[in-house]
Amino acid sequence: MTAEMAAPLGAPTLHRPDTLDEVCALLGSLDQAMVYGGGTAVQILIKQGVLFASDLVDLSLVPDLDGIERTDTGLRVGAMVSLRRMETDPVVRRIVPLAAQVYGHVANPRVRNTASVGGNLAHGDYRLDPPTALMVLGARVELRSSAGVRHVPVRDFFVGFQETAVAPGELVTAVEIPAQTGSSSGFAKLSSQSVNDWPCASAAALVTSPVQGQRELRLGLGALAEVPKYVSVDVPSDAGVADAVRLGQEAAGPVIDPIPDIRGGADFKRRLGLVAVEDAIRAAWGSTGGTETGAAGRSTGKEGSDARRNSRRRWWRSR
Amino acid sequence: MTTDVQMTVNGARHRVAVADDDLLLDVLRRLGITSVREGCGVGACGACTVLAEDHSVSSCLARAVRYDGVPLTTADGLAEDDDVVEEFVAAGAMQCGYCIPGFVLMGHELLAQNPAPTREEIAAHLEGNICRCGTYQEICSAIEATARRRQAENERRSA
Repeated sequence: MTAEMAAPLGAPTLHRPDTLDEVCALLGSLDQAMVYGGGTAVQILIKQGVLFASDLVDLSLVPDLDGIERTDTGLRVGAMVSLRRMETDPVVRRIVPLAAQVYGHVANPRVRNTASVGGNLAHGDYRLDPPTALMVLGARVELRSSAGVRHVPVRDFFVGFQETAVAPGELVTAVEIPAQTGSSSGFAKLSSQSVNDWPCASAAALVTSPVQGQRELRLGLGALAEVPKYVSVDVPSDAGVADAVRLGQEAAGPVIDPIPDIRGGADFKRRLGLVAVEDAIRAAWGSTGGTETGAAGRSTGKEGSDARRNSRRRWWRSR
Repeated sequence: MTTDVQMTVNGARHRVAVADDDLLLDVLRRLGITSVREGCGVGACGACTVLAEDHSVSSCLARAVRYDGVPLTTADGLAEDDDVVEEFVAAGAMQCGYCIPGFVLMGHELLAQNPAPTREEIAAHLEGNICRCGTYQEICSAIEATARRRQAENERRSA
């Protein structure tokens, strides 16, 4: 969603349509409408006086936006599915374990109960956790308007600072996530303030099963540039974890271009970004199981305070 | 716009006229339910926690109009002998008490989803609740004690 720099317009008018067609008609006809999904981000922006919208279009009465469907290739997740459900639903945990793991890192359990999958993406923040996983998994966003439906890969969805591929009149209706078959994955989120603050640096890593002696190492980076970033690199199947870390860091380094803020300066974040990349790759590589093929997708993470503590220790040692 | 909604709080039904941008927090406090408090106002501190159909919600970020007819639980609606509250008292988990209703409700949500949480799982579930008095250790112990107590009661009942 583009952040049009207009004057604040006072309290936006709330619309509560109960069909998707009505939603599309409203979004197509109103001048500065914004979709109201879970509402957690929108409500904060309103309180901060920085929401530039004339109208809010509430999705909570629209049926069929909160389903998780098993498809031939993976999952189709409705835009109004809560982040907490992504974290805890047994089907999500089985089919796309990396996604379940990463959704469980957003904010706190209460916000995750309310915030929606579609709204989280449309929010378009460069520090979001879910895009790191969705990019390495090759997910795509389903967008709808009165003109019809189109799909945009998550890797192409974030087009500029706080700006997404959602066009005027469109809304996010679903995210399609391919099953995580035969790959292993890891995630690292490093915060310089409280653990549930926005990350200072985050990275998701996914290692595919070997094809002709090569594995593809995919990396999704959060908070390390003005948009979530994606890179991939081929790694020989018989490479050790140290080689994988080196190749991954070499691939990630050039796209890391941090915005300095209260969470750290650009140099600090660049350094911490490479630590996050290393942590995520080590977590993913640790579960590739050597020559094992065809294993179900697994997701291991150096999660929680131990990983954070170890990363920080390593960073201080390496200064 | 103003809408007539039914707020269902702790089993009691209230007909209230709410404006589109009225927050659940403000509507509940207007009903006299003062265990729901404003802290940070951005969903990060947990003082305004309510349970909506047993799911924790930050009422400071929730529009009341969306909770028409949804069963809500607030801390003051818990039973006199609520086990989580009793264990908070026993553990000395309260000092000023401002944040405690939110912690108690988060404890209820966690134990409903996970009857035997580890200390790490308790801490992870409470990561969005802030206690300025700093009784986090006692709060975690109180939730652990409630889990043990429920387990003992279940064993007694099935014996």
